[in-house]
Amino acid sequence: MKLTNLHIGYSTTLLEIQELNLEAGKIYALIGANGRGKTTFMKTLIGQIPAISGGISIGNKASSVLSPIEKSKLFGFVQSRFAGVPYMKAKEYVALGRSPYTNAFGRLSTKDEDIVNQSFSTLEIEHLADKFTEELSDGERQMLAIAKVLTQETQYIFLDEPTAFLDYSNKKKVLDKLTEIAIKLKKTIVYSSHDLELTLGHSDELVCIAHEGNDVRSFRKNEIEFEGLVRFCFGVNSPN
Amino acid sequence: MRVKKNRFLLLVLLVILPIAFVCHFAAGEISISWSTFTDAWLHFDSSNSEHLIVREFRFPRFVMACLAGSALSVSGLMMQTLFNNPLAGPYILGINSGSSLFVAISLMTGFTFFQNDFGLVSSALIGALVFGFIILGISFKIKQGISLLLIGLMLGSFSGALISILQYLSEANALKMFTLWAMGSLQQVQTAQLPFILLLFFLGMIASFFIVKPLNAFVLGETEAELLGISIRNIRLLIILITAVLTGLVTAFCGPIAFIGLAVPNLVKIIFKTQDHRILLPASLILGAVFLVFCDIVVQLFAETLPLPINAVTSLIGAPMVIYFIVKRIAR
Repeated sequence: MKLTNLHIGYSTTLLEIQELNLEAGKIYALIGANGRGKTTFMKTLIGQIPAISGGISIGNKASSVLSPIEKSKLFGFVQSRFAGVPYMKAKEYVALGRSPYTNAFGRLSTKDEDIVNQSFSTLEIEHLADKFTEELSDGERQMLAIAKVLTQETQYIFLDEPTAFLDYSNKKKVLDKLTEIAIKLKKTIVYSSHDLELTLGHSDELVCIAHEGNDVRSFRKNEIEFEGLVRFCFGVNSPN
Repeated sequence: MRVKKNRFLLLVLLVILPIAFVCHFAAGEISISWSTFTDAWLHFDSSNSEHLIVREFRFPRFVMACLAGSALSVSGLMMQTLFNNPLAGPYILGINSGSSLFVAISLMTGFTFFQNDFGLVSSALIGALVFGFIILGISFKIKQGISLLLIGLMLGSFSGALISILQYLSEANALKMFTLWAMGSLQQVQTAQLPFILLLFFLGMIASFFIVKPLNAFVLGETEAELLGISIRNIRLLIILITAVLTGLVTAFCGPIAFIGLAVPNLVKIIFKTQDHRILLPASLILGAVFLVFCDIVVQLFAETLPLPINAVTSLIGAPMVIYFIVKRIAR
């Protein structure tokens, strides 16, 4: 996915991206203070919000020409919290990720069933399959939401603050799994966070939104200078 | 395992329906033998009053109970899924208020669209469709289902107020007629009207079976459904259209029947413990029919001592159920 001269926002430009390449097999952390447009940024990339100007291209194709069903086979999006649904079992939930591929009545083929089971085993959460989604913990539900997006078999996976509602050990667990998935399954993963310390160990590149203005800059892992990064994103000096 | 169990439960419901039919037939005020029942169809004698009772009263009443129960339950299920709210029902959209308002106008001011037997029916149907289209028009502008729900409630209060004014101004006889209609009845349908009702009913049902997949995605909310490649505007439009036709049809012929659309889908979810509409839809269809036939059996049993309107019975059974759901959900 390639972004060039992209202007993002609703009526006025909120963010401006000169150039950014999102590659397969890599994991990107989108860093920015609260209310700076992380979600808007991601929703624009998956085509839910139209860009003000500039382009998003995938291969040689502009993303603006994609149909809803094409988008659903290309982009997966995990919302920051899945609160569970009454009477819905984990397996039923994860299987909904197959919707773009199933027939008019949503019937799962044996291949679809295999993909669902595969997602559970990739995330090592097979033991949750027959439980009701409402009875699980936040950490377990976050894993389920990731399993669902895996069954959707999209090249691009976007996650909106996937660790916001989790305790430290679950935060680490989720980010470890995402890093592993990016490498093993050659996915392009982008997740947003304002937890700078945690993301450093769990990303190939940091995409940073400035604390004021429209600037968005990306930093490779080896070129990160922590102090400057904190000032750029949050407008304060690092406490360390 | 669960799938097999659910199929078995569906089968059980299907078996209960003919049993309910037998009870419903037997509960009638005048007892009629089963041989007379078959004779009424095979060797019809128009001078035989028992044959006439079977063909013109018992049978259409049973069919109407089934259709009304099914139509309201399926509408309720789709509303609850669309609005992601277990307390939604066909009434919440204001479709039923549209029917009531138009019937009130035609009964109490004398204005009708057609001057014939179909006068009242056409008013109710037109009212349902008019309010359905108002909601539909608004749904193009508004993305959030919850706002639509509020607008539906506003339409309900608005027409409720207009009806109160009409009631206050109207003369005693017209007021009585409207009150009777508003109580609901399964007895107003004539055998000759059944083909028309069946046609609309089946059209609505077939359409709803073709949107089970989007309905399943809607359970996760509209944002998630959109991410799964579903065109939410089209599906929302379809759901509102199907609900308007099904609810309008029932309200036109039976008056406003309360609570079934709210209570039955919740009951189905508790029994079947799933959110898969491939199960929920047929289950609501059958359980809705069984529930209303059961209520009508109660009406028939008390007919001599205490003539109960069907709407009172559905509410008497439905209201405690709804209270139970709310308490159970919040207490968790």
